[in-house]
Amino acid sequence: MIRITDLCKTYKTHLGPKTVLSGLSTEFRHGEKVGILGRNGAGKTTLLRLIAGVEGYTSGRIERRMSVSWPLGFAGAMHYSITGADNARFIARIYGKPIDWTVGFVEDFAELGEYFRLPVRTYSSGMMMRLGFALSLAVDFDCYLVDEVIAVGDSRFGERCRAALAERHARSTLLLVSHQAETVRAFCSSAAVLQDGRLTRYDDLDEAIAAYHAA
Amino acid sequence: MSGGAAARGSVLAGLRVQLRVIGALTLRELGTRFGRDNLGYLWLFVEPALLGGAIGMVHHLSGHGLPGGLNVATFWVMGYIPYYLLRGIINRAPTAIVSNQSLLYHRNISVFDIILARDLLEGAAVGGAMLAFTLFFGMTAGQWPHAPEKMVIGMVLMLAFCHGVALLIAAGSIYTEVFDRVVHLCTYIALPATGAFFMVFWLPTDLQRSALWIPTVHIFEMIRDGEFGSQVPTHYNVGYVIAWIAGLNLLGMAAIRRGRHDLVI
Repeated sequence: MIRITDLCKTYKTHLGPKTVLSGLSTEFRHGEKVGILGRNGAGKTTLLRLIAGVEGYTSGRIERRMSVSWPLGFAGAMHYSITGADNARFIARIYGKPIDWTVGFVEDFAELGEYFRLPVRTYSSGMMMRLGFALSLAVDFDCYLVDEVIAVGDSRFGERCRAALAERHARSTLLLVSHQAETVRAFCSSAAVLQDGRLTRYDDLDEAIAAYHAA
Repeated sequence: MSGGAAARGSVLAGLRVQLRVIGALTLRELGTRFGRDNLGYLWLFVEPALLGGAIGMVHHLSGHGLPGGLNVATFWVMGYIPYYLLRGIINRAPTAIVSNQSLLYHRNISVFDIILARDLLEGAAVGGAMLAFTLFFGMTAGQWPHAPEKMVIGMVLMLAFCHGVALLIAAGSIYTEVFDRVVHLCTYIALPATGAFFMVFWLPTDLQRSALWIPTVHIFEMIRDGEFGSQVPTHYNVGYVIAWIAGLNLLGMAAIRRGRHDLVI
């Protein structure tokens, strides 16, 4: 379970403080597949980063009672000057996973061909995303934080991601942020709308999507 | 300091995670810095050798020796290598976070771990160069260190001192680019004052007292005590250096903790 209480995040900018999240409270339980809908700049990515612990927050509280992935997106989590294989070895060491198994798994899942043995900086954004997703599946988290990523990948890979997540359906939690209702409909069983720094949860997907379009 | 396990479980489990992380970071750093097609490590040996050789030549041609009859090349090389460690760690501190930012996506990797891994690697590399030159001077000139353990302790103190400074600079680099701009300048300007190329007993008494305020002067004196023994008088106080190291590292860790909270990735 992840419990968020009164979460606030303010960034310092040249134009003064900018509040992105103001008093957000919610709870994500084991096995939930929640889509978080929000317009560009609503703070979706920020919310994922705070849940993942990548950035600190201004006030409030986040309790993590399960293992939470890093935010899966185009950037981050990898080292760009080393190869995909070396990244897999690195991740295996960091998270205490068997090294050979991890490298094999990531190579199979990411399907990068010979690029797997080339530095990550030579990858296309789609390839980077595939590597990132494969790395996170190798670690086997309880909760996956996904930043619109699957929608952007080619459809075959999207299908495999969905299958991989479905396989873990019972135990893994998914938090997917997107500005597209279709993506959320494809992957999630409930949804929430992020607006004005707060999150409104809906048990019913259609209700959430309707509220999102109305906003 | 590091991640979920530390918060949840015992201190021991947290420590295990941190050791694992530092090990992995060091290995990765080893690959990127001294990797396959990177000859960076060669300079570790070439630079001190060139400096020692060139200055030894100047002394030889001018016919002036060093006070205390010290071997010129040994003196300069053994002063330059610990300075090399200082410069390597401090000059690279402002970019420590930026160049590893993507790794902070992993909750169990802390900024402290990243900087410690870099500094340990730098220390191991420079320590290797120190060992190589010690063996070289021993075998070619028969100049074996009088107390090698003092040289080792001196290098460890230098590493710990620079690590503390690096933590502070890295924390500062989160808030301003100033450090990145001035740090190279500062390490060069500070070179004459660090104690790398002079000995305290060369100085007049009142200047000696001022020089001994500088912690690195003590470290260089200690390394020279290990190298030359009673051939020359040395002045140093290990307690004074340790007090500096403790102060810098505690402040550095506090600053990093604060900075991590404000870091925008």
